[in-house]
Order: sequence, then structure tokens, then C-alpha cells
Amino acid sequence: MLCRADKELKLVDGAATDFANKVLAPNREEYDQYPFGQFWDGVVKKAFDLGFFHLTLPAELEGMGHGLAGLSVVLKSICAQDASLGGMLFTNAMAQEILLAAKAEKLLEEKIVKQEDVYKFLLAFPAFNNPSEVRHVATVTKSKGKRLLSGDVQYVVLGGLSAYALLPASVEGSKDFSFFLVDLASKKVSLSEPIFSLGLHACPAVDITLDKAPAVLVGEEGAGKKYFDRVADRMAVAQAAMATGIMEGCFAEALAYAREREQGGQKIVNWSEVRMMLANIAIQAKSAEMMLSRACEAVDQKQPKWEAAARVAAIQACAYACEATTDGIQVLGGVGYMKDHGQEKRFRDAKQIQALMGIAPMKKLRHIRSILEKR
Amino acid sequence: MKYKPCTPDHAQCAPNLNDVAASLAFAHQTPAALIRETREVVDLARKFNREVVRPYALELDRKLHEDPDFLPWEFVKKANEWGFYTMWLPRLFGGKGYFMHSMSAFIEEVSSACLSMGNLIGVHYLGMATLAATWNAPLLLKIFRDVAAGEKAGDPRIISLAITEPGAGTDVEEPDLIDKGNITCHAQKVDGGYVVNGTKVFISNGHVSKWHVVIAYSDLDLPSQNTVCLLVQTGQKGFSFGRHEKKMGQRACPASELVFKDCFVPDSMVAMDSEQIKGLKKDAKDTFQQVLDYVLGATRAGVAAFGTGVARGAYEEALAFANETEVEGKLLANHEWAQCMLAEMYKNVCIARLGYVETNHHNASSGIYKSMLAKPAFYFIRYAPEFLVQKVFPKLLGTDATTRALRKANFDNQTEEEMNRTSGWGSMAKFSGTDLGMKNCHMALELMGQAGLRHDQRVEKHFRDAKLLQIYEGTNQLNRLNLFKCLVSGACPQSCVFHDS
Ligand SMILES: Cc1cc2nc3c(=O)[nH]c(=O)nc-3n(C[C@H](O)[C@H](O)[C@H](O)COP(=O)(O)OP(=O)(O)OC[C@H]3O[C@@H](n4cnc5c(N)ncnc54)[C@H](O)[C@@H]3O)c2cc1C
Repeated sequence: MLCRADKELKLVDGAATDFANKVLAPNREEYDQYPFGQFWDGVVKKAFDLGFFHLTLPAELEGMGHGLAGLSVVLKSICAQDASLGGMLFTNAMAQEILLAAKAEKLLEEKIVKQEDVYKFLLAFPAFNNPSEVRHVATVTKSKGKRLLSGDVQYVVLGGLSAYALLPASVEGSKDFSFFLVDLASKKVSLSEPIFSLGLHACPAVDITLDKAPAVLVGEEGAGKKYFDRVADRMAVAQAAMATGIMEGCFAEALAYAREREQGGQKIVNWSEVRMMLANIAIQAKSAEMMLSRACEAVDQKQPKWEAAARVAAIQACAYACEATTDGIQVLGGVGYMKDHGQEKRFRDAKQIQALMGIAPMKKLRHIRSILEKR
Repeated sequence: MKYKPCTPDHAQCAPNLNDVAASLAFAHQTPAALIRETREVVDLARKFNREVVRPYALELDRKLHEDPDFLPWEFVKKANEWGFYTMWLPRLFGGKGYFMHSMSAFIEEVSSACLSMGNLIGVHYLGMATLAATWNAPLLLKIFRDVAAGEKAGDPRIISLAITEPGAGTDVEEPDLIDKGNITCHAQKVDGGYVVNGTKVFISNGHVSKWHVVIAYSDLDLPSQNTVCLLVQTGQKGFSFGRHEKKMGQRACPASELVFKDCFVPDSMVAMDSEQIKGLKKDAKDTFQQVLDYVLGATRAGVAAFGTGVARGAYEEALAFANETEVEGKLLANHEWAQCMLAEMYKNVCIARLGYVETNHHNASSGIYKSMLAKPAFYFIRYAPEFLVQKVFPKLLGTDATTRALRKANFDNQTEEEMNRTSGWGSMAKFSGTDLGMKNCHMALELMGQAGLRHDQRVEKHFRDAKLLQIYEGTNQLNRLNLFKCLVSGACPQSCVFHDS
């Protein structure tokens, strides 16, 4: 539905679906063992070669220029099978979008887009925090015309993999913050062990400690909030796509199981209470997909009030996904709780995705605040 | 089809006082010593949490992620050392004689810090309660005394309960479904015992238990009338462990596959079969249903206590976060919306707790605790002189006549209304307490955002652990149906449960 009218997007979707079914789904349990098992290096490289990390970058910057609709199509198909890769795509795209919002194309061109090694191309970013809410920001000082960052930034996604991170920092005592590009190979930067998290295990994050680490200012000084808010509204569509994909995968697995499993002398799909759970998942998945379609259109065409469409889609799709994946386990009974099926991972991933870009209830408040401010 | 209209009596939705307000009706009968004892076990649990559970819970969970086959012996030994596996065993079996009634509060406490560790203790009493509900006195004496001896020897000898089979989960929890189920665990009667073949799955604590209460069937075509409850020992010929499941949460509490291949179980280890219960008022199917109801009435209240515990754990972590984190420059605990969320979570804990407290009142007035909690019996069992407990009672208990008398008293005297009340309330407490537990975990994660996602913040573990509670001891869907059957269907005279297609 998302790409009904767009042949190119259909092709991208086909590639993503194929990749999800053939590469991600068969080894989901193994990939999810990270950080206690091997990192899925080969998968990440393949995804890079297929251009999944270039989707929203404009063609002038060696990207595919598919906009958020393109990213959403891919995220939805990927997350139906394994949202961890979705987490990597999201984080990288969000960091790129902030650089673009800050008109830092030159920086992207110099440092990032020409890289042929995926890990030199990927940007690390604290994708689960809104720095205006909880101030996980470093402190910036100036020395001999250079900017140096100190302090801790928590939960930097892709931090243990990427060459560069996009980090928020502020001058001591200032309320505002700015974004900086930091070379993670610097001796002034130290990284924690990968953080063991609820979901998205193969989309690793680390805490970063900086000790006067050299950094490049991105965009205007003190404009971090402006960039973040604008990009967060756009990326809300991508968040909704991830949640929708998870629900679609969840529904498919629940339905297939309910058609096979027998209890009480019949396939459990014939017990109407099981049907009710399946119906709820299906309705939530479909509602999310419809909201997502509408939001993609609104954002990519810059329609009036596109921000509201995007925010609402994300808030609601994430809430649905948390409910749907709870039922998704329930339909499978005991086996749904086990690692050899996909449902338990979807349940964890859905909850984790809800926390992207900040505290869930604060997103509702931001939404109402924007309505109140306009009137 | 034409349906009969409801009679006014049935249509009314206000049942009698005993159904809706057990605490009002029965609280005054609660022995004061039981209230003291509850305070005591809660204090003990808090100490245990401080010294053992909290410092070790995350490390153990992490260990299980690093090595999924790791077994939590160290914790089981600690719990054994602290005396928790005999705490709620009557004194005449070598236990400390605390009443099961107080266990829910203990379980809530431990589970608020770690649900897996709560299970490593609590599930032992699921096995124990099932064995106790067969009222097979000599076997109770043998097994429970062995558990007590294990405590003294520093060698935990805990009990698991094995009902679920690969093809039958919901079906084996519900006697109305079992005959339609894909039942495969066969106990064939032979001279001097049974030969068991088949597999049980998802058995909590299996790998770390010495004793396994196994439910098998002597006729797979009519299992409801041919249920056999047997005791199998780890290491016994013909019995082995299969898979150690890789679960999402409650990683420290193993879920095990039990495999039986021509496993001979002597008559002396048969807790109950249809032959043994001939002569009771009810037939074999209804008597086993009664055993199940007796047990589940109590243990589902226990699962509600797990749910309350995890609801509390999530609430407490969220509260700590709100007390130390600024959001948009203001302490989170000072945001009105967050105050309302915390109030809601607090309420969820209290409501979940009320469910198990109320159910335990029903169990005391009409269910498994009834015969022990009448005040004279309570004080006699609790304070009987040691020589009676050690010398006289065991001799009395060792006879088949005692078994028969206990079974008569417990199976023939419980009314249908009492069965419905305890079973219905057990289900209600279970699904509401566990749904509220899950709800609080969701809310805590929402409130904490990024911080809640980290293993070291504990909430994500609560979230993973809690989900299991909605599945085991009957899915919450099955428990809703059981509540309908026990407490609602009377108001729907044309209804039949489990006839949907
Ligand atoms: C970690 C873990 C520990 C466990 N510990 C133990 C233990 O110690 N001992 C033990 O014996 N068992 C144990 N169990 C088993 C547990 O009790 C079962 O998983 C549970 O009863 C559900 O059975 P099932 O998994 O086979 O699901 P199924 O019965 O296959 O159910 C699948 C779905 O169908 C629904 N369904 C089935 N029948 C009906 C119906 N008639 N009407 C409406 N809906 C229906 C269920 O509600 C569920 O949503 C454990 C399970 C787990 C996961």
C-alpha cells in the first residue's frame, strides 16, 4: 500500500522483503545473541551493498533519494523479520537527517558519503534520547579555535561500530545544545562494552566518555533543539514503519501457528477467543499501516500539518505494536515465550522502538503543545 | 435454536456475600498467629532480597544469556540454606510449619526483586501442593521428609510438577478438554506399578528438582477418567532430561523437558490413580478435577502474587527514576502526568494484591487450606508437642486408612459451590494480577525511556520475566473461561463452555 503508485519503491520493497525473508528470518535467533554471540557483520555489509543505508540521502550526496517513504517501505519489510537491522537503519538515517537539517552537506560529503567501508559510512547517534527532555549531553569548550567535548553521552547507538558519532553537547550553564561530529578513533574518546538491552540486540549501543575530544560543530551553535525537533517529526514516520513491520510479522506468525496447532480437538484458530486475539493484531497492524501511508505522503509532499500526521502515526503505531506483540506471544502459548520463535523478539523490539527519540508520554505532550501553540 | 430467557435470579449480577467479599466474611476467622507469621516471612524475604536476590539477580540473568545451559544451583542452595524449601511444610513432615496462606506475601516480596528467583522457590510448592492435594499420607510423609532431610544436609531436594505435554497445554489444564486432546504420556499398569512412556515439556525447575510429580494417563483414549499421579526421581532408570528451554525471561528458572522411556514407577510412588479413589462420592474425572481445583485455587493465587511482585518491582524502579531524573529541567516526580502514572502503577500493585489476598480467604474458607485453618486445627498443628509431631503423627500418617479418611474428608465434603468459588477466584486473581504486572512493566518502560531499556536498570528484566505469568498455570484466556464457567455461567443457563467452533 505504501508504494502502490511508485514502481521504483516497489522494487526497493521487493529487495527488502527478499532480504528479510532469506537473510534475516532464518538466523534471527543466532543474530539476536549479540553481545553474547557473534556480531552479524556479513548481514550489515550486505545491507550496505544493497543501498539500505543510503535510502534517504539525496542523489547529490551519492544517496538513493527515496525520502522517508523509501526508508519506511524498507523498514517495514525488514522489521517484520528482524527489527535490529531496522534500528541500525533508523539511527544512521536520523543522524544523516540532522546533518542535512543543519545544512552540513559539506561535512557529509567530506567525511561520510564517499566511504566504501560500511563502518566508516555509518553514523553513531544517541537515537533513544531527546536531549531537551533528559539532558544526556556532553560539555563543549573552545581551545585555540577548536571545540573540545567532555563528559558522558549515554546509549550511543552504533557507537561501538562507527567511525564517527553525532553527539549533543552544550556550553556549561547554557540551556541550548548543539550537535557535533566526533571521531570515535580519537584517544580522547572511550567507549563502554556494548550495552545489554531489552531489544534490538544486534543494533548495539555504547556509553561514550569524552575527555576534551576534538569535535566539529554541525550547523549553527545552539540550534540542536531546532534540528532535533524537526528531524524527530520526520523520523516519526520511520518509527511508525518499524512498529508496523513488527506487527505484520507478528500477525503472520500468529496466524500460521494458530492454523497448525490443535487444542480441544480442533485447530486453535477455530476457538473464537483466539480469533479475537488474531483480529486485534490484524486491526492494529492495518490501522498502523493506513496511518503510516498517510504520514509518508504528508511528509514527503510537505503537506500542511505533516508533522501532526507523522507524530500521531508513530505514537499510535508504537502503542499498537506493544499490545499486538503481547497477544502475538499469547496466541502461541508457551512456545511464543521461547527464543526459537520470532514472537518474543518482536515483543521486546516493539517496546524498545517505542522509546526511540525520547520518553513515550512526552511525545504526546509535544504533540498537544504544538497544537496549543498554533492556536 | 431457541434459548431460555434468564431467570431473574440468574440475571442479577450481585452474587452472595461469600463470593464477593471473602475478606469481610472470613477475615475475623483468621488466626492472629497467621497474621504475625505473614509479617515475619515478609521481613525475612526483605532480608533475603537485600543479601541474596538483589545483589545476584542481574548477574545470574546475564550468566544465563552467556550460557543458556547454566543451572542456578548456587541460588537453589542458598534458598535451601535459608530454609525456604521447608518453610511452608507442616512440622510433622519436618518443615517449619508456616501456613501456605503466608507464602503469597513472601512470593510477592522476592518477586519484586527477581521473578525467576521467586519461581525457583515458589514452583517447589506447586509440586508440593499437588502431591498434598492427593492426600496420599504415606507418600507425603516420605517425600516431604526427604525434602526436610535435604535441607539439613545442604542438598536441595525440591519438587517439580509435570503436566504439560508437547501436544497438550491448555487441554491438560482443563478436564473438559483433555479427552479431545493430543495426549501421549502413557502410564501402563503392570504388576507392582506403572510403566511410563512419553514427554513432558516446559517443566519449571525440572533440571534442579530431585522429585517430579508427573501426571500421566493409563488410557490415552479417555484420559479424564484414567489420570495417574506419580512421583519420579531424578536419576531414576527410564527418566532423563531433554531440552533446557531458551526463554525470553525468567532465565534463571529452568524450563525443562522430561523424557520417559519405559520408566517403571512402583505402586508405592503412585500418589493417586483411579483405583485408589474408588469409593469416593465423585468419579475419577471429577475427583481429579477437584485435585486440580484445590491446587490451582492456591497456586494461581501464588501466580497472582508473582504478578503483584513484578508490578511492584516495575513501580519501584520507575519511582526511583522519577525521583532522580529531570525531564525538561524539572524533576520527573514533579510532572503532574508522571504523578498520575505513578499513582496508577501504585493502584495496580494494590489491586493485584487484593486479588490474591481475597482468593486466599476463599481457599481458607472453602478450599485447600480449609481443614488446616480452622482455629483449633491451626493451633494444634502449630503448637503440638514435639514428641507427638515426631513419634505419634508419623505412625498415624503412614497408614492407608489415614489416606482414605483424609480423602473422604476433603473430597466428599467440599460442595460444588465451594469448588466454583475457589477455582473461579484463583483464575480471577491469576489473570488480573498478571495482567496488572505486565501493565506496570509497560508503564515503567514508557516512563523511563532510554534508561529503562538497559539491563542494569532492572525494568527490562521485569518486563521479560512478567510475560510468562500470562501463559503458565493456564493461559489468561483459559483462566477467563474458567472464571466464566465457575462464577458467571450460572447466570447464563443455556451456556456451555469449550463448545466453540
Ligand atoms: C516457562 C514455562 C514454564 C512452565 N512451567 C510449567 C510447569 O512447571 N509444569 C507444567 O505442567 N507446565 C508448565 N508450563 C506449561 C504452561 O502451563 C502451558 O504453556 C500453558 O498451559 C499453555 O499451554 P500451551 O503452551 O501448550 O499453549 P496452547 O494450549 O497450545 O495454547 C495456544 C493458544 O491457544 C489458546 N487456546 C487453547 N485452547 C483454547 C480454548 N479451548 N479456548 C480458547 N483458547 C484456547 C490459548 O489460550 C493460547 O492462546 C510452563 C510453560 C512455560 C512457557
